[in-house]
Parts: sequence; structure tokens; C-alpha cells
Amino acid sequence: MKKLFALLMVMTALTSLVFAGGNNEAGTSKGATITLMQNKPEIDGALKDYAKIWNEKTGNTAVVKSVGGSSSITLGQQLKADYAAGDMPDIFIIAGIEDYKEWEGIILDLSNEKWVKETSVAFTKDGKVYGFPVAVEGWGMAYNADMLSKAGIDPASLDNYEAYRSAFEKLDSMKDKLGIDSVVSMAAGPEMGWVTAHHNFNSLLSNGLPYGDMSVVNQLLKGQVDMKRLNEYADWVELLFKYADKAILTTGNYDAQVGAFATQKAAFLHQGNWVDPNIKAANATFKMAFAPHGSMHTATDGIFVAAPSFYVINSESKNIEAAKQFLNDMVFTQEGQDFMVNKAGMIPAYSNVKLNPAGQLSKSVQQWAAEGKVYSWNQYNFTGDFRDLTLAPIYNQFANGSIDKAKFIELMKKAFEGLK
Amino acid sequence: MNKQRKTNLIFWLFLAPVLFTFIMVIVIPFFMGIFYSFTNWSSSARADSTLQFVGLANFKNSFQDPSFIYSFIITSLYTVLNVLFINAVALILALVVTSRLKLKNIYRVGFFIPNLIGGLVLGYIWQFIFNNAIPALGNIIPVLDFLSNPDNLVLSKVGSSVTALVIVGTWQYAGYIMMIYVAAIEGVPESLFEAATIDGANEFQKFKNITVPMVAQAFTITMFLTLVQSFKQFDVNVSLTAGGPSAIFRGTPLFGTELLSLNIYNTAFVKNMLAEGQARAVVFFVVLVVISVIQVSINKKKEVEL
Repeated sequence: MKKLFALLMVMTALTSLVFAGGNNEAGTSKGATITLMQNKPEIDGALKDYAKIWNEKTGNTAVVKSVGGSSSITLGQQLKADYAAGDMPDIFIIAGIEDYKEWEGIILDLSNEKWVKETSVAFTKDGKVYGFPVAVEGWGMAYNADMLSKAGIDPASLDNYEAYRSAFEKLDSMKDKLGIDSVVSMAAGPEMGWVTAHHNFNSLLSNGLPYGDMSVVNQLLKGQVDMKRLNEYADWVELLFKYADKAILTTGNYDAQVGAFATQKAAFLHQGNWVDPNIKAANATFKMAFAPHGSMHTATDGIFVAAPSFYVINSESKNIEAAKQFLNDMVFTQEGQDFMVNKAGMIPAYSNVKLNPAGQLSKSVQQWAAEGKVYSWNQYNFTGDFRDLTLAPIYNQFANGSIDKAKFIELMKKAFEGLK
Repeated sequence: MNKQRKTNLIFWLFLAPVLFTFIMVIVIPFFMGIFYSFTNWSSSARADSTLQFVGLANFKNSFQDPSFIYSFIITSLYTVLNVLFINAVALILALVVTSRLKLKNIYRVGFFIPNLIGGLVLGYIWQFIFNNAIPALGNIIPVLDFLSNPDNLVLSKVGSSVTALVIVGTWQYAGYIMMIYVAAIEGVPESLFEAATIDGANEFQKFKNITVPMVAQAFTITMFLTLVQSFKQFDVNVSLTAGGPSAIFRGTPLFGTELLSLNIYNTAFVKNMLAEGQARAVVFFVVLVVISVIQVSINKKKEVEL
């Protein structure tokens, strides 16, 4: 009896192994199969269409998996689960140095790839290229140009705290005339920590500094706080929260925040050029562009532009060549370029790509970048833990009105001092 | 092969698929989890990612983290409220649908249906109700004007957010618990009620002295189910409040409605400390076992056999 049982168990185990093996075998000999995991659900459809075209041209198959959409369900979590299961994708996304450290052992050196020469924003470490920039993105204060001209405000003047304060005050007094509910569409709810503790936080880190300047970041990481900079930043946060719609600010989600701007219920939007498809879907036709953040009293003439995420190749992958080809084809084939710019609406990070995205805000980012008026994205030099679990609740407290500005400054200072 | 052997073979043959699955997805991961909670496991390809034993460090760090302690407190509070509300509502519903009511089967189905909707979907539906529908109601009806004031948004304060979690939890689970009560109430012999009626007992006396003792067995089950369900609450928590709004506990700003499961999840996947998350899960498991054993043994004493 015992023998029979043992035999049965072995057979069950073997059968499942055979079935599991069957799926993978198809890949290696003829067309290879690569798995790509990325974090933009909004381009999932376009990417899958492109993968189909790529399959027809090369005979290789690319399986696209998209994870993401809120700060509680992220790509990083899926990668951890897949890594533990021994099912790591061949191409996946990292967002910066903290992610790089997480996967350091399996990220392939791509220094000798053809696309490296065409871009200036690849992810590099110690002189070696590791990450393929997915796109260029940027954010500032998106404004409704029609509304500002109606209110007699020149967007070019908006580049410091004082200019924003008087502009917000003026717009606030003209609410009824302009038909708006609030001046700025800002979100600081529990799901929207990425707007406050990632994007807005970056104003403190890089606004007004030369591109790539890490001085403020390094100081904060050592627990040293520049109180003048933090005080001015707190003024800016207070200003944004004060003139925001309180319902959207405290409990609204992404749709509510972008919706208020797209339906002309707010004159400003604190988001980046990735909202273009959402605004298009809402049939908004007014003119819009980006203005710099006013987080400082001195003028800061530039917006935050960078490549936010990078494709990296898993060095343990069996199909490294196919994965490399997939990335190269995206840059050097007509279909690949068409996917990046026209289908996915992204700003290309490659100089050989001559197409331009159609979205107004994407064009605005390109314009700022062309003029060289850009500040870097430094928020990814802090861990996700620090941003999402330490800073986000502080912003939320301030937005709810549970704490005042002095307490906000005190808690922020304490949080940084806890870093060393 | 004699008959005894044949029966045995069939027994194991039918059991094998379930047993195999149970061992693979419950037993092995459970013991692996306990093992990992004593290591620095991170499931990543970090440069320094060799597996090392760290003793009780993960447990020590957990108890020094204010967010873990806070989660324990808020989860206990939520559990007490949720168990009381679900059972009270379920019992009332069960009494209603076992009385002489027209269309009672339709009511039974209606009350049960929320249980068939997934918790994530339910959370998003109720988030819409709390964030959009209720304020809109305040705009339409002048008397309820205060509802449209952003200061009164249900999900903008910790206290009312916990209440919201309890409301949604009750809405989701009361129908299911009601079904258990219905089965128990219908199992009470009619003759007891007839005898009581002849003795001149009124409805309340009948309920207190016959129904309650006779369905005590059901109380054991429902209390256990609701207790465990509330303690383990995760999906509604994620989708309805996402842990927010924030609160300040012992001088540290943290998420105000982050129940234990969500706290474990955030520790593992946002803080990237999988081993520490696992340690918290072990603590969570032990606490849950102790509490439910106590609850079942207390309830068992109150049961009566006919």
C-alpha cells in the first residue's frame, strides 16, 4: 500500500514536470520567445500590437506583460514574486539607482549596443551602459493657456513663488467668471503619494540646480537639511494645497485629478506629459503647456525632464540576442519608431528618431528640452520605502489640515535626519 | 487484491490531487515562510544577496516599528467592531427571512449576493459611493448640505474611514453569515415554540430562551468566521482606503487605516524587506491562532445538546 502511494505521488509530480517543460521548449531552436515586463498599462495595447508586427518580421515572439497603475500595485512586487519563482522576464524595467541595486546581479551590460550612440539619457553606472531609456518625460505646472490669457496672466512670468502666489490669488478671485472650482488640481490622497512624495518632492531636490547636480540629494541623504530651501519649499506646498479642491486633494484619485483639469474646472494641473492620452480622451481642446515650478523665491526657469524608466536585459536569460534585437529594432526600424512616437505617444529618447508626438503637453516638454531649460529627476535616489511610507503620510497630514506648515517642516526635517 | 485493499487504493487515488496541491501550496510554503523569517531573504539579485541567518532580528525590528504596533491596535479595533456589526446585522436579517414574510427566498438571495462580489471590486464601488455619490447627494438635497463639504468626506478622516471599512465589511459578509443563522434557526424544532406558546411566552421570551440557546452552535461558527475574516482583511482595505488617510502615532506619521495584512504586504513589497514581512506574518499567524482557540473554547461551553 505504501509503495503504491509513493508511486502515485512520483507519477503526479512527474506529470506536472512534463507539462511545465512543454511550454518552454518551443523557444530556442527557431524563433526565440522573450518576455518583456513593463509598467505602463496605458501603452499595453500599442506594445502588444508592435510585438505582433515584430514577430511577423523576425520570427521571434515577444510576450508583453504590463503591471502597474497605482502606488500599491507595482512592477517591483511582481518582479520579486517572479524572481522567487525562477520565472524572471528577459526584459524588465528599472526606474533608477535604487531599482538597479535591487537587481544588480542579473542586469546585463549593454555598452556595446547600437542604440547607445543615439541617446544621451541611458542609464549608466561606473561608465557602463545598463538601461535602455523607454522615453523622455517631464512635468511642471500644466496650465490652461486660454484661461490664463482671459485672466490676464502671462505664463512666462510664472517662475517663482511670488509670481505663482499672486496668479493663484487673482484666479481664485475670478473663479465664478472663469467657471472653475479651484485654481490648481492637486492630489495628496493615500493612493496619490507618487504625486506628492515623488514628483512634488523633486522640487526640493533639483529645482534651480544645474542638470545632474546631486548636492542637495547627497546632503539630505546624510541627514543635513538646508533649512532655507526647505522653508521655501514648504511655502510652495502650502500654496498648492491652499488653492486646490479639497475633495480631490484629500481623497481624489488620478482620474479625478486629471479630470478636473481636462473639463476646465481647474486652471493648473500638477502632473506630467503622460496625461496627454487622458486629456485627449476627455475631448479637451483648449491650449495648454507647462510652466516651471515655483518652489523657490528666486526664479527657476525650467521644468523637470528625464528618462524615468529603462529597459534592462536579464543576464540569466536564454534569449539575450533576441532581447537585444528587440530593443535595437524599436529604435532603428520604422515600425519601432512608429510604435514609440505615434502609437504610444511617447517623446523619443533617440536622436535618430525624427517623429514628434501629437500631445500638447508632450510638445511642451520637447520645447523646454530643446531650449535646454531642464532640471533633473532626483527623487529616485531615495528608496521607495522612504518616499511611499515615510514622506507620503506627512504630505497627506498637511493636505488634510491635521498639521500646520511649521509641523510639516519639522516632520520633514526629522524624516531626513532619520536617513543617515 | 482483497476488497479492503481496493477501497484503500480508491481512497488514496481520490485524495492524491488535493493532497498534492495542499502540500505544494500550503504546507511547504508555510514552513519555508517560517524558515525565511529567521534570515535576510530578499528575493532580489542584490550584490550582497547571500542568504544568512539573522536570528530574531526581524522580529525585534518589527516590534520596534511604530507602524506595526499601530496596525495591531487598529486591526483589533476593526475586528471587534466588525464582528459585532456583522453578527448583529446577520442575526436580524436571519430572523426577518425566517419569519412569515412574503418573497423571503428573494430576500435571502438579495442579502447573499454582495458576498459573491470580489472584495477589490466592492472596495472601488464603495470608494466611489463615499467620495462621489454621498457628496453629490449633499448637492441635490439642501437639508443634507453638510455632506458636500469636503471636510466631511468619509474617507478623509481615520475614524470615519474605519467606520467605512466596517460598513463595507458588513455589507459584504452579513449575507453569508445570515445563511448560517437561517440554517440553524430552521433546525430548531417547532414543538419547542408550540410548547412555549401554550405556556404563554411572548415573542421576546421565545427568542431569548429558545432560539438563542438552540443556535449557540451556529454562534461558534459565525464568530470564528467573522473573527478570522476581519483579522485577515486585505482586499477591501487596499481598494477602499489604500491605508489612508494618514495619522500620527508616537510622533511618526504613518498610514491610519493600514490593517495588519496590508502592513505585512507593505513591509515586504514597498520596504523591500521580504524576510521581515514574513516574520510579521508569523507573529500574525500565532496571534490569530491563539485568539481563535480562545474564542472557540468559550463559545463551545455555551452550546446545548438536545
